[in-house]
Amino acid sequence: MPPVPVTLRELFRAWLVIGTQSVGGGASTLYLMRRELVERRAWLTHREFLEEWALCKLSLGINLVALTGLVGSRLAGAPGVLVSLVALMVPSGVITAAMTAGYAVVRDEAIVRAALAGAGPVTVGMTIGISFTFARQAVRRGWRGSIDWAWGLVAVGAGLFTGLTPIVVIGLGIAVGVTLLRGETSRASADPGT
Amino acid sequence: MEALSLFVDVLKAAALSVGGLSSLPQLRQDLVIPGHVTERQVLEALAIGRLSTGPSGLYVVSLGYFALGWVGAIIALVAASIPPLLIVPAAALVRRQLLSAWAAGAVRGVALSTSGLVVATGVQLIAPDRQILAVPPWQLGLAAVAAVMTMQGKVHPGLLVLGGALVGLVLGR
Repeated sequence: MPPVPVTLRELFRAWLVIGTQSVGGGASTLYLMRRELVERRAWLTHREFLEEWALCKLSLGINLVALTGLVGSRLAGAPGVLVSLVALMVPSGVITAAMTAGYAVVRDEAIVRAALAGAGPVTVGMTIGISFTFARQAVRRGWRGSIDWAWGLVAVGAGLFTGLTPIVVIGLGIAVGVTLLRGETSRASADPGT
Repeated sequence: MEALSLFVDVLKAAALSVGGLSSLPQLRQDLVIPGHVTERQVLEALAIGRLSTGPSGLYVVSLGYFALGWVGAIIALVAASIPPLLIVPAAALVRRQLLSAWAAGAVRGVALSTSGLVVATGVQLIAPDRQILAVPPWQLGLAAVAAVMTMQGKVHPGLLVLGGALVGLVLGR
């Protein structure tokens, strides 16, 4: 817990800053979280922040939502989870939906289609880059890392060349994980990109 | 598409992923293949997600909008927020066990599976039916450069998307 109790209003304000200023995805969101929560407001130590980050990497879905819940819970209990989540996600969600609504009006213009012809491949490349970075954070050190990479390649092949659905591949991944990929936890200090 | 169906699809994709973008293969399976959204809309949602604020996993809000308008956006936002929060009670109850070797293995298996599937989905998005040779070389080059620059992490994602759009305006007409 921080040295001075955190009010829900302060918590809301901090997450609102993060939710409205973190343009560009996970890395900038994580950077702002650290700046607001650790450096500027000193509600968490760097070690506490990294501990929650290590835990959130075990969560389902969007890691940064899990981190928001864990930090909110640590600072103000269940109400802290709710306030943190609303302040982060609602503004970001509204901005994203509004951008989509605006885009939908012009998406069939020739100039927009041309722009997407370039922005689309870039987005795909970024997505692949993030996945590679994410996988690199997950693999173990030493020779066991080659087993981890091999499974990742199997998953690429399964996605491209088999009719297996994602849920089957992920199920197989869990089975392979608890038998062949056990060991050290993911690297806590790495950025998420997600 | 019905609202409940969208909610279940996004919830399932989030519950079967580790990391925001790793929900992409499952969402493509459940939304694109039945025809609720198009491949192009997936690309557009990913791009908007990189230009907007918050986690990049919020591209699902954009996808939800494409599927069902503002209602779809709200549904996607709520559904994507639920699975990650399960970590809060889990951490309160079994924090030590979550950091055990078997839990790390299970998470590693999911993380590597979804990473591999996302790469495969990316290839399918840029080259439907795996027809890589049919894709203009400049688009393949853009994707490769963006992948490398993203791994290096030195250029802001929004600038990368805007740079790609500018190249598209020159070469994509």
